[in-house]
Amino acid sequence: MEVTVLVQATYKSFEMLDDARDRAKQILDIAAKLTSETQAIHRKRIEAIFTGAKQTKAKIVKFISAFIILLGFWLLLSGHYDVFHITIGMLCCALISYLSYDLMFANPRTGDMRVIVKRFIIYIPWLLYQIFLSNLHVARLALGPRSLLDPKIMKFKSKLESDISMVTLANSITLTPGTITVDVKDGVYYVHAVSKKVAEDLMTGDMEDRIAHIFMEADHVYVQDVLDMAPIFVALK
Amino acid sequence: MTIKQTADMTKQSDDVIVKTLSRLLIPFMQIYALYVIAHGHYSPGGGFQGGVILGASLILLVITYGLDNVLRMMSERSNTILCSLGVAIYVGIGILCIILGGNFLDYGALAKILHVEVPHARSLGILGVETGVGIAVMAVMLSIFLDISTGGLPSNKEQGQSD
Repeated sequence: MEVTVLVQATYKSFEMLDDARDRAKQILDIAAKLTSETQAIHRKRIEAIFTGAKQTKAKIVKFISAFIILLGFWLLLSGHYDVFHITIGMLCCALISYLSYDLMFANPRTGDMRVIVKRFIIYIPWLLYQIFLSNLHVARLALGPRSLLDPKIMKFKSKLESDISMVTLANSITLTPGTITVDVKDGVYYVHAVSKKVAEDLMTGDMEDRIAHIFMEADHVYVQDVLDMAPIFVALK
Repeated sequence: MTIKQTADMTKQSDDVIVKTLSRLLIPFMQIYALYVIAHGHYSPGGGFQGGVILGASLILLVITYGLDNVLRMMSERSNTILCSLGVAIYVGIGILCIILGGNFLDYGALAKILHVEVPHARSLGILGVETGVGIAVMAVMLSIFLDISTGGLPSNKEQGQSD
């Protein structure tokens, strides 16, 4: 009699233990689920904070660079370098850069800004030399026989991508005597050329290659890139 | 018909050259306008000239980037408020001079509240009045352009409804 009671009690205690284990398992599962959910929510919040901070940082960088550029322009214009005028200048520059920093830096550059500026400064003397050569050519056209003239409008597709490089190419073409950019539509240039020689010079694409090199666009290897790399290989040898 | 022809001026331009160059030039135009206003009592220029340049920069923005973008930055309501604020600054400084015991726009009287010498007070008074003139002229220039280019209608949306 006592043995059966003992056995029953043992069974019951085992059942209770199993029950308790199941319940503990459920509670643990729920707890794990909750923690994973809260972790996910936390992670999302932290990511949101990070992206927000990144955007704010980009905005602040744009604002400060616009402010510095505009303050430089102000100091160039203003001849008065006392505290009063510089304070007014800083207030004005802060107002304008707050209003229009997104105009000055509308599309983010992928390349390094310092390299672009350096390459652009190197590009200017080359452009001046081309203008000089074209000037001589156009002078010869003006003084020479009429048969040399062959005015026509050319159309070519450019490989340039960003708006600033397209504008640089268009203005370089217009600055060179003998050629004028008539229109740019979706990367297609309509250029008026006054003679066969200037048209052929333009169609070689030398100017376009150089501008693509300045703004680091269009996946091509340029002569200038190879020249830039050459000293490194020499040093390695 | 006339409205449709002129309304194209307030649409966004599709010329990449015009858009990019005006995007880069407008901040410099605006800072030049503020320079002309702030140095009006030392060199040629002043409130009216600076205000016109500031208004011209906003008009260039309307021509290249469309009316909607500019109205998002500065609505016609705030433009009207700026227009009256400029006149209020001008008249307010004039009447402040009367209250302080001078004539209308007699800036020397401002020396009492600014705690500076009389010539310096006159210089600061002129700067304040020129700021008011500049704000008023800028707002009036923009409002004249908006009235002409949209045919007197407040915005493109209402224009579409009236067609």
